[in-house]
Amino acid sequence: MESASVPLPHGGGGHTAEAHHHGPPAANQSSRIDRQTLGIFLFIISEVMLFGSFFASYFFLRVVVNPVSWPPYPFELPVAIAGMNTAILVSSSFTIHYALEAIRKGNRQGMKLGLVLTWILGLTFLFVQINEYVHLGFSGRTESFGTIFYSLTGLHGAHVFIGLILLSAATLRAFRGHFSKEPEKHLGVEVPGIYWHFVDIMWIIVFATVYIL
Amino acid sequence: MIATFTRPGWYRAVLCTVLAAAFGFGIVVLLRVISGLPAMQTEQTGYPQVVVPLITAPLGFLLGIGCFDYWIRWGIGMPTIPDDHSSHGAYSWKDYFKVNTDHKVIGIQYIVTSFFFFLVGGLMAMLIRAELAQPGTQIVSAATFNGLFSTHAVLMIFVFIIPMFAGIANYVLPLMIGAPDMAFPRLNALSYWMLPMAGILFLASFLAPGGAFDAGWTGYAPLSTGAPLGQSFFNIGVQFAGFSSIFTALNFLVTIITMRAPGMTFWRMPLLVWANLSTSLLVVAATPFISGAQFMVLFDRILHTNFFQFGAGGDVISYQHIFWFYSHPAVYIMILPGFGIISEVISIHSRKPIFGYRLMALALIGIIVLSYSVWAHHMFVAGMFSWLRVPMMFTTLLIAVPTGIKIFSWLGTLYFGKIHTKSTAMLFALAFIVTFTIGGISGVMLGMVPFDIHVSQTYFIVAHIHFVLFGGSVFTIFAGLYHWFPKMTGRMYDEKLGRIHFWGTLIGTWGTFVPMHWIGMEGMPRRVADYASQFGNWNLLISCFAFMLGAVQLIFVYNMIVSWRFGPKAEANPWRGNSIEWLVSSPPPVFNFDEIPRVVGGPYEYGIPGARHAIMGGEGAEVPATQPSVVGT
Repeated sequence: MESASVPLPHGGGGHTAEAHHHGPPAANQSSRIDRQTLGIFLFIISEVMLFGSFFASYFFLRVVVNPVSWPPYPFELPVAIAGMNTAILVSSSFTIHYALEAIRKGNRQGMKLGLVLTWILGLTFLFVQINEYVHLGFSGRTESFGTIFYSLTGLHGAHVFIGLILLSAATLRAFRGHFSKEPEKHLGVEVPGIYWHFVDIMWIIVFATVYIL
Repeated sequence: MIATFTRPGWYRAVLCTVLAAAFGFGIVVLLRVISGLPAMQTEQTGYPQVVVPLITAPLGFLLGIGCFDYWIRWGIGMPTIPDDHSSHGAYSWKDYFKVNTDHKVIGIQYIVTSFFFFLVGGLMAMLIRAELAQPGTQIVSAATFNGLFSTHAVLMIFVFIIPMFAGIANYVLPLMIGAPDMAFPRLNALSYWMLPMAGILFLASFLAPGGAFDAGWTGYAPLSTGAPLGQSFFNIGVQFAGFSSIFTALNFLVTIITMRAPGMTFWRMPLLVWANLSTSLLVVAATPFISGAQFMVLFDRILHTNFFQFGAGGDVISYQHIFWFYSHPAVYIMILPGFGIISEVISIHSRKPIFGYRLMALALIGIIVLSYSVWAHHMFVAGMFSWLRVPMMFTTLLIAVPTGIKIFSWLGTLYFGKIHTKSTAMLFALAFIVTFTIGGISGVMLGMVPFDIHVSQTYFIVAHIHFVLFGGSVFTIFAGLYHWFPKMTGRMYDEKLGRIHFWGTLIGTWGTFVPMHWIGMEGMPRRVADYASQFGNWNLLISCFAFMLGAVQLIFVYNMIVSWRFGPKAEANPWRGNSIEWLVSSPPPVFNFDEIPRVVGGPYEYGIPGARHAIMGGEGAEVPATQPSVVGT
């Protein structure tokens, strides 16, 4: 094929002033999934692997090194309080789902209620967690147990914090009247929602490993 | 006056960097004073008042230069500014120093920045070779030498090879699949701007008390957990480089999956796209492991936790497991995009369809799957579980199969092709096949447990890694840069200088790294500033070739800069390529296309009369009546 017969948009080069004003052509959508949703799923894969590296460390410290007692005597983990905290975080998954279902039906009040409830539940979880840290009696320097306990729960706490920031943005915009029924008009609720579900599920795994197993 | 500091740009960036550094410093000092500790902590593995600003200052810079402006406006519920495309495309050289959302501008930013770090890292290699030219210590002290080789490796790996491939793909990939831009242009800009942050952190470690990080690029604990302050620069720099490559990889994946032009099925994608698809899958899933490993070292250093403290229940070997679980896949992150480049170049310049196109793509997938199962072959002598040795040896040798498929497919493509070497890119591609095969075979040797034990920590390792990373990755980078230089700049480079650069690089590479195999087998240890005098002659020879290798790179720099400014204008399709990036002007228009092209056939149907890959110009454009069908499309 002759290269000369190829049409040259913008008369070649295209670094001209008039090109400044008209935008790009709309991209072809070659998959059913929208960009934002796929993006957050891929990011979650990354996050799972980050947790994975700390879980790997956990099993090295607990199984390979195999210390005499785990947790080291005389410390104990408050399983009941953490279990209650788990219930709080898991219920926040239902409230964020309620918010998403509400806006899908066009119910803005329901969405606001769901978002605010999720936000409060998430914050409560963080407060209970910090309170637990204060009363545990051991620190991150207490053997490898303290190190990996604070790392895993702290890493998760940091993710709850990031999730809360995303939820704050969604809530703020919800109260300013930004989201509506159309699928592409409430991605700002849906995408942080997916992230929040990930944070919840990850906590169940962290809780099961660190507190129960 | 105030507007100067509120607009996104360099003034605000400098201001925010200073403020963020002061904030980080202040918060540490404040917390320490409140807890009744001395305000400053200057133990070797401490310095929280320096380490925390190392994290906050780059974030401040990113905030100031304007990476987060849109998201912050969105997040606090302000009405977002309708995009006027004012931050898209480059209209003067100054636009390359701003946050830009155009994938082509970001591609150039990536390429130039990472090439700068290549030159800095190369200069360090010259210093290393100068010191090693003779037995004894002449140029630098042993401590400085340790810092030099560590920084050399880290610069080359994290801020040259990986981002250079990201840069080339950033420029070419959206054009190749017929997309107007990447899926997340603002995230793309953020990914780019994190790269210089990482590079500057690595280089700034030379200013730290105790010198640059000197535990090698692997930063093994407990060497790294007890090292001077410079090691923390490494720990934090890797986080920025890591986030940068994760976000870029995520961007590539979403772009490839959701933004292909109509008709561009997965089996019609050029192999460069396939290569970046598989590399990105590796980056997204593996890079968090090095983030994790470096966080753990940083915690051990600054917070005095016990991840790797033997006496307190820590596990030293676990560092190597977690580190190599990223860093072995990382070597494929550093070569797979290069495989893609070579496929493009070989096919175009031998005027033949790629031999075994589908198997080429599947071999990439095979490599990424296998690459997760071989990490412990770096640890045969580390004192890890002995039962893990033989399984890791088997999987390591198995990787040679998909890699071999690729090598033989390139040879099959060349076989009976109309090979012409009028482009330096093709010369580098042909040299790559030979050099990389040698490096690959020494990799198979290293996969054997007994041989690996024999040559562990010797120059054989140095020879192998440079044969695959310099003779492999860097050759593909040069091939890619020469190949797409006309597309990126709209100018032709000087072919004669290109040839001098090629032959100098080839002879320099072989002259430098081939003798290292022999002195390695004889037992010369790596990572030492001084060595036994029996290796003196060989090392002098190696150093001479290394200086030549370094010097010819200056020809490349001269060629690129002068050709970019004064070279003859390039036509749209100087190599008679089929893929979509050759169907637009050189350089491409700001928004790539007026209308999204339609893909009607495979990407490599060279030598087949009437075959076309894509048609420009939307629905109205004519379609060839009969589309020849070719295996692999």
